Amino acid sequence: MKMFQTMRTSASGLAAERLRLDLIASNIANISTTRTESGELYRRKTAVFAAELAKSGAGQGVRVAAIEEQQTDPRWEYDPTHPDANADGYVAYPNINLLQEMTDLITATRAYEANVTVLNAGKSMFLKALEIGRG
Amino acid sequence: MEIKNINPFLPAEWQKKAEASTEPAAAGHFGNLLKKALNHVNELQLKAEAAAIDLALGEVEDVHQAMIAMEQAKLAMELTVQVRNKIVDAYQEIMRMQI
Repeated sequence: MKMFQTMRTSASGLAAERLRLDLIASNIANISTTRTESGELYRRKTAVFAAELAKSGAGQGVRVAAIEEQQTDPRWEYDPTHPDANADGYVAYPNINLLQEMTDLITATRAYEANVTVLNAGKSMFLKALEIGRG
Repeated sequence: MEIKNINPFLPAEWQKKAEASTEPAAAGHFGNLLKKALNHVNELQLKAEAAAIDLALGEVEDVHQAMIAMEQAKLAMELTVQVRNKIVDAYQEIMRMQI
């Protein structure tokens, strides 16, 4: 239904921001994770968004193109008692910056809110149109 | 339900002409259009109901999807009500006609 194109576009934005929030939650939860299922160090995850062509041509939704894993050097900490410490006694921790994650969290929250605002604006325009000819 | 247009009070040969001109429009008959639109509104309502059930069962992943489905159903319903009001208004206007 072409009538709700704005809503669908905003909905894709909401879904994308929610996924971003999921990734931030995962990054913060795993800030000191030294091993994953693959046996490697946990890597900071970020979502790559891509514009998606709408069928009608007007307005593009967003889709998640990929979830990238950051390939930077780990944060080394000296702790010989740690089971995952290397021969020199250093433990590799994921290179996650809590400040950066918190800033991203704020961005994701605000972007989600912005999408809701657009959605509500579309809704009030629709309701306004229904008032044509009334009274 | 089939809504037929009101026959104009015209001389016989004019009436024939008028009927011939309305005939090709039968495919896009107002009744059919209305039926199609109502079916669509019903679909949206069913979708919203399914979303509400999923939400109650805790099976929904995105809360906004359920909310949007319900909002769409509500808006489509309001549009239908407005169209219905217009139709009823037109009908009453005709019923008030002095004969």
